[in-house]
Amino acid sequence: MWNYRRRVLQHEFSQAVSEDSSEPDMGRITTLIQTDLQFLIPLLRSFPKCYWIWNYRLWLLEEAKRLLPRTVARKVWQQELALVGKMLSLDSRNFHGWGYRRFVVETLESLSADEENERSLAETEFDYAKKMIGTNLSNFSAWHYRTKLIQRLLSEKSASDEERKQMLDNELELIHRALCDPYDQSLWFYHQNLMCTFDPSKSGQTMAPNLTRTERLGYIHREIEEIQEMLDGAEDCKYLYQALIDCTLLAARVEQRTLDGEQKTQVSAWLSELKKLDPLRAGRWLELEQSLCS
Amino acid sequence: MSLASGPGRAAGTLADQKLYAEKHIDYIKKLDSRKDELEYWLTEHLRLNGVYWGLTALHLLGCPDGLPRDNAVDFVLSCQQENGGFGAAPGHDAHLLYTVSAVQILVTLDAVDELEKRGLGGKQKVGSFIAGLQDRESGSFMGDEWGELDTRFLYGALNALSLLGLLHLVDVTKAVSYVQKCENLDGGYGVTPGAESHAGQVFTCVGALAIAGRLDLVDKDRLGGWLSERQLEHGGLNGRPEKLADACYSWWVGASLAMIDKLDWIDGPKLVAYILHCQDPEAGGFADRPDNAVDVFHTHFAVAGLSLLGFEGVEEVDPVYCMPKAITSKVLSA
Repeated sequence: MWNYRRRVLQHEFSQAVSEDSSEPDMGRITTLIQTDLQFLIPLLRSFPKCYWIWNYRLWLLEEAKRLLPRTVARKVWQQELALVGKMLSLDSRNFHGWGYRRFVVETLESLSADEENERSLAETEFDYAKKMIGTNLSNFSAWHYRTKLIQRLLSEKSASDEERKQMLDNELELIHRALCDPYDQSLWFYHQNLMCTFDPSKSGQTMAPNLTRTERLGYIHREIEEIQEMLDGAEDCKYLYQALIDCTLLAARVEQRTLDGEQKTQVSAWLSELKKLDPLRAGRWLELEQSLCS
Repeated sequence: MSLASGPGRAAGTLADQKLYAEKHIDYIKKLDSRKDELEYWLTEHLRLNGVYWGLTALHLLGCPDGLPRDNAVDFVLSCQQENGGFGAAPGHDAHLLYTVSAVQILVTLDAVDELEKRGLGGKQKVGSFIAGLQDRESGSFMGDEWGELDTRFLYGALNALSLLGLLHLVDVTKAVSYVQKCENLDGGYGVTPGAESHAGQVFTCVGALAIAGRLDLVDKDRLGGWLSERQLEHGGLNGRPEKLADACYSWWVGASLAMIDKLDWIDGPKLVAYILHCQDPEAGGFADRPDNAVDVFHTHFAVAGLSLLGFEGVEEVDPVYCMPKAITSKVLSA
């Protein structure tokens, strides 16, 4: 059904281009595209998870990019960014919405690529992710976007290791503040993303890949202290024990050694709390326990 | 095969631990007699997927002959287009997702040779259609000529081609490296590079790596942790952090865990109880969650989920292909 619509429009477009071969009828193409984009809005509102409508819309926008002068096309795509913002404020976790937003941003950037005063949207998008997190701290979609944007921001300004470390410190401070509610799973997944910075096998994909071994260990130990403090009054929060175990194992990996006796005792104590608090995942904790003994 | 929802509702109770297999079999068998309902026609765009869901569920429920074989084969072949691919229904444009369903149905019915006899150009032509959708640069796959990219397509392509014995038509190494680009720091995978992890996408990416023989690339502990956190107190599974449970995630999450040998990282009996809670014990069928209307999509994935968990009386499912294990073992060893 959508493909028929595409074929009809393709035909209309080719007519608009060929009727007067010297000057294609841009006004007509713009109207065709704008009208169809408008037509889709109520449909998307009713079926925000329907892949086919989103795909079709994207195709229309691609046609705008292909056929229209850059400035006109950019206007069309800018309206799109506003629309996707509106949709995400209605459903802040809509998977298509977020994927779509990334795509719109990429295209807008490519449309303004050769213009000097236009720059990357990473910074404004970073503000957007901040705003969405501010509205709802549990919005992992926004935290995920933040992870990706930080990477881009830093690489676009060819940030030095010092600047990268500064960014990391800010993020750690932010997540520690957010974790005054330690029961929120989304926050812990962001925390886990940050901890990857200290993991030699993952750090290459993180915001500060070049930390020294000593720096990494320093960060991890501070983290363990920080989480232990959070335990006070939240002894029934399983994520805290999980994070303590993860950090302790990570420190040992960074030091390339196995856990010492004291650490083993500590980890077993945290594990037994986890088994009590989180019986759903008993199999996972059992496997971890067995791996410690071997 | 009607994809219309209802008429039943998931009215199962938590105390009731019985699988009403006969009711579900009847429910699926009767789906095709609902052509007088508007929704039958509104869901035409999924018809071929629907046949795959219904047929596979019937096999897993121990009723492999529940759909008339000849009718099913005729219907599948009638959906084939000139380019070798299959559309959702006769006259619909070809798309990778329906082509995968077509291949899965023909393999399940042991009818791949019908492609040579009556199809347009045999299985080679189907294989070329799929292979033509690979972007040779990135290794990813489009769904159709209009170019949308999604790791679902990549998985579907490897699934169908391996079943046809035609995996050599595509660049598997590049496909694998594309999947790796979709991996996130939480160990999960997204729909494209940069996208948030999503259980459905995790299934397609891990499934693709399994078919390519590259499960060694998965960070099993990290991914297993993320997947096991999908289980909620009531036993059901969700698809992303802080989302509602849905019976179909019993499959996406469960099969992913099974592929990386971590199915014991969640509470199986509690998940079984949740799935059974989503069934309609009277009219048959499963819904996404208790009290909602049933449909064939959720019926299929709920039954497949029960199979993963070794529920008694349900045939074993292949976690990579979502087809009866007895069938995939036979085809893939040939």
